[in-house]
Amino acid sequence: MPAIAPVDAPEVLHLSLVLGGTLRDAEGARLGRVDDLIVRLGGAGYPPITGFLTTVAGRRSYVPAERVATVTPGAVTLTKAKLDLRPFARRPDEVLLKHDVLDHQLINVEGARLVRANEVELARLDGWWRVVGVDTGARGGLRRLLPKALAGRIATGDFVDWASLEPFSGDLPAMRLRVLHPKLAKLHPAQIADLVEAASRDEGEEIMQALGGDERLEADVFEELDPRRRLELLAERTDAEVAELLARMAPDDAADLVADLDEGRREAVVELLPEGARRKVRALLGFDPAAAGGLMSPDFVSVYRQATVAEALDRVRRSRLPDEVLATIWVMDARHRFLGAVPLATLVRADPEAGVVDLEVAYLPRLRPDADFEEIARLMADFNLTAAAVVDDAERMIGVVTVDDVLEVLLPKGWRRRFGLLGED
Amino acid sequence: MRLQVRGRLRSRRSRVIVLIGLLGPGLIAANAGNDAGGIATYSEVGAKYGYTLLWAMLLITLSLALTQRSAARMGVVTGKGLSELIRERYGIRWSAFATLCVLVGNFGICISDFVGVGAALGLAGVPAQVSVPIAALGIWLIIVRGSYRSAERVFIWLTIPFFAYPIAAILAHPDWGEVGHALIVPQVHSSPTFLLLFVAMAGTTITPYMQLYLQSAVVERGATEEDLKNESREAVGGAIFADLIAVFIIIATGATLYVGGIHSIGSAADAAKALEPFAGQYAELLFGIGLLGASLLAAAILPIATSYVVAESLGFEKGIGRRSEEAPVFMGLITAMIVVATIIAMVPGVPVIALLIGVQVVNGLLLPVNLFFIWRLARNEELMGEHRNRGPVDWLTAATVAITSALSLILVMVTVSGL
Repeated sequence: MPAIAPVDAPEVLHLSLVLGGTLRDAEGARLGRVDDLIVRLGGAGYPPITGFLTTVAGRRSYVPAERVATVTPGAVTLTKAKLDLRPFARRPDEVLLKHDVLDHQLINVEGARLVRANEVELARLDGWWRVVGVDTGARGGLRRLLPKALAGRIATGDFVDWASLEPFSGDLPAMRLRVLHPKLAKLHPAQIADLVEAASRDEGEEIMQALGGDERLEADVFEELDPRRRLELLAERTDAEVAELLARMAPDDAADLVADLDEGRREAVVELLPEGARRKVRALLGFDPAAAGGLMSPDFVSVYRQATVAEALDRVRRSRLPDEVLATIWVMDARHRFLGAVPLATLVRADPEAGVVDLEVAYLPRLRPDADFEEIARLMADFNLTAAAVVDDAERMIGVVTVDDVLEVLLPKGWRRRFGLLGED
Repeated sequence: MRLQVRGRLRSRRSRVIVLIGLLGPGLIAANAGNDAGGIATYSEVGAKYGYTLLWAMLLITLSLALTQRSAARMGVVTGKGLSELIRERYGIRWSAFATLCVLVGNFGICISDFVGVGAALGLAGVPAQVSVPIAALGIWLIIVRGSYRSAERVFIWLTIPFFAYPIAAILAHPDWGEVGHALIVPQVHSSPTFLLLFVAMAGTTITPYMQLYLQSAVVERGATEEDLKNESREAVGGAIFADLIAVFIIIATGATLYVGGIHSIGSAADAAKALEPFAGQYAELLFGIGLLGASLLAAAILPIATSYVVAESLGFEKGIGRRSEEAPVFMGLITAMIVVATIIAMVPGVPVIALLIGVQVVNGLLLPVNLFFIWRLARNEELMGEHRNRGPVDWLTAATVAITSALSLILVMVTVSGL
């Protein structure tokens, strides 16, 4: 195969053709069998092969890459005539291609899905063999089902470049990624949540651990997870860890999560929350989760009616709330009674000296904490709202229900179902 | 201070889920073994040999309990499906082989369940050519539209008439001394039919898809190691319960048909006679409803479970409720299974009972393959750690593999040599 390759193209090899091949010494004499290939992850570019696991005279032994002259389909040839056997001790950033990658699931960052490696593709780059990607298609699988003589003729099928792949560490907790891999960081929290849901429990836990370094992102992913997965992950954390996580979540999601916890843990976890978060969560916990009070977030930016546009914009700039919460600025009177709202875009376009009262949407409906889904949805549809104010009996504003809170519940069942031999209703 | 629990609604809902859990995967999986093929096989065993094969049911129940327990535990500990584990541990060749066995076996069962639907409605005078395509279309729509979970509950309730078997068995006044004797003292007939029925009985009781289904179900439930005891107990309980029904089917048929001189079952109407001591003239109605429910349940589970296994072991997109563009192989396989099974079940004059039992024989022959992998995987320390099968549990599982393999080999040899 390498003989017919054009001069510029790198030599390529299918892992399945190397595995089970012969280990030869420099003179070509047969020494043993090639069992597995070891690559080192973590460096820049495609991971290089650092060694070979072989069986020589019935014993497992390790051959470092420096002692290997050539790798061809069916054979690995040494640089020397003699082989010095040494035991294999895996370094933390090494994976075994057959044991850990081939036939296992990997994260494909492109499209944020899990793929299974039917074949691992190797290429000779910068003078040495490296992993360049995997084949997830039927051809890769077919090649390995066929006898060796025919297998070499099957071309690569659905090739996925290693640059967009992230393997799981499998059953070696010691080598789990402790830092967030840049490949994963490119995904949206919702996509990462989808991956965690699609992966097995250990794999999902591994992804979450990899997020551990970026606490804000971890909290965002948690908000997107389906409730059962969330509980599974929470069960393995201490109360203090759970509280730390909750403190970084939006208060309405945090309250949902607390309500889902074991009854015995709820109080202990809430006690560990920082003062502000604790107050909000406690308040939200008093409401029915299926009504406006339970859906709303107590986080919003409001200004008094006397404020100017410049002052309102300044409030937005200084706010530490997430962007989506700031799309609407709420207006109230001196006694915190709800008056109306101004979209952020309107403020930006308006004369900075104008008063917000002049821009404010004249009539805006408000919700009571006990308004149910249908009521909220009808109101938002009728008035074309993306956010609606929730007020208490004294007309004081206590929170905001945003369209995404409602949408999630009102999506038709079939649309939300992503998987499931037994997908929950 | 105790926190106000908002939403008593929430806790009420979870209580309902717990109740449904009692009808959970362990029971569903094992009880799905009592489908059209199962009932035909147990009825034939009872009609042909009376109570004499009851001892075998004890052994088969032990094996079933062990394998179901192993599957549930693997689901809990690894969080992965069985075919996924086979793929990751033994590579694509073995996984393809195991998948092929499951595919062949399940396809047979799928056919047998559509035949069962035809036979059940045939009791009411509806020809299979009418009932089967309608049922097939309904099942296909349920799967494609993704309302499978709620349909499953309906089908399960439809199988309740089969709980009439224990009552019928008691009302038929069997000779309990004889029953007890048959349960404890193994009796063997040296005839190919005996061997065939024995293998069919093992095949229908310990069908591979039950373990695959159970393990995937446990994984999707998100069971953690704290649930290990419960999941194991449920798997074992489900196995024992399902087989108890099977034992009563054999006793009821033995006490009516066998004692009454009918030694072979030719049609669903014959099999229904075993319920006469309880239901009298309504025996056929009762049997028909039960058969319909059991057949529909299995006919809906099987195409899904099979496609799952194939997609899992070959790495295709999977999941019901996916549009066919998203998971073409997955949805295509489901459709193909239903279409082909429907066509076969519509063939006029298809020998219903013979076909049902024949399918179970094929399953019995293929059984050792998946059992072997369950045995190896469940005792694997790297995979299962401290929860691996050890000691007597491991030995008994190994014995199950050995005995079913031996039976399969003997049956093949007997068939080939034409004894």
